[in-house]
Amino acid sequence: MSSWLADTITQAQTIDDWLSPKRAQSLALLEATNWPNRKTEAWRYTPVNKIERATFKQTSTLQDIATHIPNLDAIDLVFVDGIFDAAASSKTFPAGLTINQLADGKDHDWALESFKNTKPDRHFFGLINDTLATQGCIIDVANDTAIEQPIRILQSFQQGSQSHTRILMRLGKRSSACVIEQLQGDSLSLNTSFAEYQIADQAKLEHYRLALQCSEAISIGGSHFSLGEKADLDSNLVGFGSQLSRVDIDIIHAGESAHSQLNVIYLLDGKELFDLHSAIEHTKPHGTSEQNVRCIVADHANAIFNGRIHIHRNAQKILAEMNNRNLLMSDDAQINTKPELEIYADDVRCAHGATIAEIDEKAMYYLQSRGISRSEAQVMLSFGFINELVDMMNNQAIAQWLRPILRQRFADMEIR
Amino acid sequence: MLEIKNLQASVADKQIINNLDLKINPGEVHAIMGPNGAGKSTLSYALTGRDGYEISQGSATLDGEDLLEMEVEERATAGLFLAFQYPVEIPGVSNMEFLKASVDAQRAARSLEKYSSSEFLKVAKAACKQVNLPLSFLKRGVNEGFSGGEKKRNEIMQMILLQPKLAILDESDSGLDIDALKVVADGINSQRDGKRSFLVITHYQRLLDYIKPDFVHVLADGKIVKSGGPELALELEAHGYSWLESYDRNAEDESE
Amino acid sequence: MTEQLDEALAREYEAGFVSDIESRTFEPGLDENIVRRISAMKDEPQWMLDWRLKAFALWKEMPEPDWAHIQYDKMDFQSISYYSAPKSMDERPKSLDEVDPELLRTYEKLGIPLIEQQQLAGIAVDVVFDSVSVVTTFREKLLEQGVIFCPISDAIKEHPELVKKYLGSVVSQKDNFFAALNCAVFTDGSFVYIPKGTRCPMELSTYFRINELNTGQFERTLIIADEGSHVSYLEGCTAPQRDENQLHAAVVELVCLDDAEIKYSTVQNWYPGDENGKGGIYNFVTKRGICHTNAKISWTQVETGSAVTWKYPSCILKGDNSIGEFYSVALTRGAQQADTGTKMIHLGKGTRSTIISKGISAGKSNNTYRGLVHMGKGAKGARNFTQCDSLLIGDQCGAHTFPYVESRNPTAIVEHEATTSKVSDDQMFLCRQRGLDPEKAVSMIVNGFCKEVFKELPMEFAVEAGKLLEISLEGSVG
Repeated sequence: MSSWLADTITQAQTIDDWLSPKRAQSLALLEATNWPNRKTEAWRYTPVNKIERATFKQTSTLQDIATHIPNLDAIDLVFVDGIFDAAASSKTFPAGLTINQLADGKDHDWALESFKNTKPDRHFFGLINDTLATQGCIIDVANDTAIEQPIRILQSFQQGSQSHTRILMRLGKRSSACVIEQLQGDSLSLNTSFAEYQIADQAKLEHYRLALQCSEAISIGGSHFSLGEKADLDSNLVGFGSQLSRVDIDIIHAGESAHSQLNVIYLLDGKELFDLHSAIEHTKPHGTSEQNVRCIVADHANAIFNGRIHIHRNAQKILAEMNNRNLLMSDDAQINTKPELEIYADDVRCAHGATIAEIDEKAMYYLQSRGISRSEAQVMLSFGFINELVDMMNNQAIAQWLRPILRQRFADMEIR
Repeated sequence: MLEIKNLQASVADKQIINNLDLKINPGEVHAIMGPNGAGKSTLSYALTGRDGYEISQGSATLDGEDLLEMEVEERATAGLFLAFQYPVEIPGVSNMEFLKASVDAQRAARSLEKYSSSEFLKVAKAACKQVNLPLSFLKRGVNEGFSGGEKKRNEIMQMILLQPKLAILDESDSGLDIDALKVVADGINSQRDGKRSFLVITHYQRLLDYIKPDFVHVLADGKIVKSGGPELALELEAHGYSWLESYDRNAEDESE
Repeated sequence: MTEQLDEALAREYEAGFVSDIESRTFEPGLDENIVRRISAMKDEPQWMLDWRLKAFALWKEMPEPDWAHIQYDKMDFQSISYYSAPKSMDERPKSLDEVDPELLRTYEKLGIPLIEQQQLAGIAVDVVFDSVSVVTTFREKLLEQGVIFCPISDAIKEHPELVKKYLGSVVSQKDNFFAALNCAVFTDGSFVYIPKGTRCPMELSTYFRINELNTGQFERTLIIADEGSHVSYLEGCTAPQRDENQLHAAVVELVCLDDAEIKYSTVQNWYPGDENGKGGIYNFVTKRGICHTNAKISWTQVETGSAVTWKYPSCILKGDNSIGEFYSVALTRGAQQADTGTKMIHLGKGTRSTIISKGISAGKSNNTYRGLVHMGKGAKGARNFTQCDSLLIGDQCGAHTFPYVESRNPTAIVEHEATTSKVSDDQMFLCRQRGLDPEKAVSMIVNGFCKEVFKELPMEFAVEAGKLLEISLEGSVG
């Protein structure tokens, strides 16, 4: 067994709180599971031995990380190295919105019930998070409530830190909200950050996961959604790779006629790795889902995508689509993609497509013939490739904030 | 030829055809007109036996044979043909292959020998020509990528090849320009031989300028509310279907 | 409609009869001694025995793979007999006249009249019955042009230099569990060598038949197409209808040297078991070819039989500008399970590959496409196009797609598409309104769905495959 894992288990055994009954289940599973290696299908392209080699400790020197999103008037919940920063966080909330710290969950029956309810047990580090996450928050939106102000959960990580956070959210019937999970901090740190969302019948969630940790960071986490009848999810993921970045998205259509949309952009540079596993579970009839995953990989980076559409028996009249497009920009970069379909109902329409290509030479030639340099044209075309998904974002403040950041990243990628 | 008595048909438990009576003799052309939602297409699907179209009452016979007891394809080989309003596409199956198989089935039912491939090709080419479709259509997938007009002409070509006793033409005129309409009408008229009967379903009178009906029936709320000669179609043209509604109301008023 | 389709699909397996032939069969069990006895039965040279023993030692250390999307009771390798041959084959027949008439009748019943076939078409046939090759037709005539077509057991003795050089060169002894087992206990199969610049004057084919109860069939095929040569090869397979599962674990290696072309077609119709999954062949097959510069390998398979199919005919595109193709129709019905697909390993510059996979699932079956497209660092300007279409018939079956796509070269282009669909009520109604019965209608629509693959089969077999699909569907449109 891995020594890191052994330490983790030892540490987990000392935790005694309201979640302990649930944690015990995960701990038992964890003890029975092998440390992932290349033969573990879910970690086929993503080595986790870096976790073994790194040493983590709590630090106290605060660094300044640019996390401010202009024009985003959000309800902020701030965590630094996994610890809630009350001073930096919002204190008042609109009617119908209740936010508590994870530790206070014992007062909320639904929270215990929803812990580990949406996130599947198959994720190795999800189990670790189950056993170790003592920080995080519980967000509850009452029925028939529209929360206009976005809720931003901002997590920054500093050199040497190790942290494990959990978010539980319940969105009441016919309610709507927007949640932003923003993760930043490029230096060597380890975090597991998982969120579980229960979206009740006819409710609507707009969701952003901005996984923007680069270079040395080790960031593993997931956002997991359960959709009630006629519920609607609009989820967006923006990922920059790091020495190890892994995100799992699970969208479970638990009610009929639910709709989900998942748009993903990732841009990798240097020796970065980003691994996205998405799974759309259609368990009930008449749902629709759409996924667009676009990725650009430069230098020595490694992009991994495993997308799965699973149509359960009797989940008829489903429309499910997945589209994965990749640009590979360097001789030493790699792309590993696996778009899966698993279908047990006949009256459904499912399609997936995956492409790996260079930048369109015809378009390149056209731009160059107008006097634009090759490198500039490459940035334009690459940017256009992903800007389509940025344009689809509902929140303009986030879109506006992201565009120059993405453009800069392209420019950096091209210099090498 | 075709005799429908007291027919009731429903779709998804909703009754669409109510107590419909209709008798078509050999060689006759009957037109059924009516507003949208009157049950015109339902009638054609119920007669040809489409799944989901339930007959709760009444009878329908073709030359004395009970249609309602037969499977879809048995009704077809018994001589009932439906020209679809919206022909479906079947990718990968060539028109030629599809037509040959259909004609083979018809000939087998009539105890005729199968056409050899070369014989069939001749027949198919002639039919193609008659409805003004290029021969390349035979090689393409069934209705695959055909325009609306091409699909309609393809339907008429099939009627020419299959030589039915009774042809139901479900809005064979919809979506056609005047030239295409003439091609379709000519194709239909070429098949009038004094024995073959036709049931022409249409929303507009204009097709009936080209295919002269012997009788015109007005279908509303699932039953024939008025029957007459070709002049009835002109009346409808002049007054529209709203005139019918008042007719309906009057009838109801009178019955009260 | 589903009921009608179900009815339309309940069919008999036509090749399910048992031939009454007295056989010499090893007692069940597997140890080093069995490997030695097989080698002795074949009168093999020492190097061959050594090779087998090495493979056996490797196999003993290997775990049975469990990653495929199939469920079956793990086999007891000690309960299988590893060798069975008709007694009449003790003395190898010199010509067809000397072959046991019961054997000839078996093949006649299967639609492979050996004598007539010789006169009919330009097809040479190697006939493998349980563990031995019964006869190989046109052997001498082919040899006139330098084409070697013979049982592999003969090739080991007569062409040791070729066998030594190429056997295990594409699928190594430790490639996988079933390949390793095959290396240790393979009994017969076909050997083909096409000399430089030669276009094989006729189609070559091998027909595999399992007859004896409780035996496994472990055939081994090696095809070498020397520079600039061309060959088209077809294999067919059937087995009796039995309640017990039987194992078929074959290895096929193709060596396609510079500018050569191999077209390999399979019509697989092993006994699929009954509607409830009782009996049927477990088909665990490793097929792989290597393409040198400008070479081309084209795999076409029509898979309608077997209780379990585990099969990934693959191409290693080593040489620059080489081409790999995979065309597949896999039809599962009843309780059948198929996990099949291909691997296209692009190593050379300008290599191209095309994958067209059509899966049809009916009844309670599960049909999985599993594929890998790998663009290596050196695969400059390489291209792949993959299309996986699934057709579901009925709501109790499953259709799955697991494609792995890996790229290490920025100039390589990969396109992958997958769709699922059903036979629509509208399509059925149209066909039936035109007088086709449901069976005919479905088989016509399904044939249309498979057209892109059928057109890749040699003419005679395209018709055969269409019919096979029709027969298969007679029992399974659900």
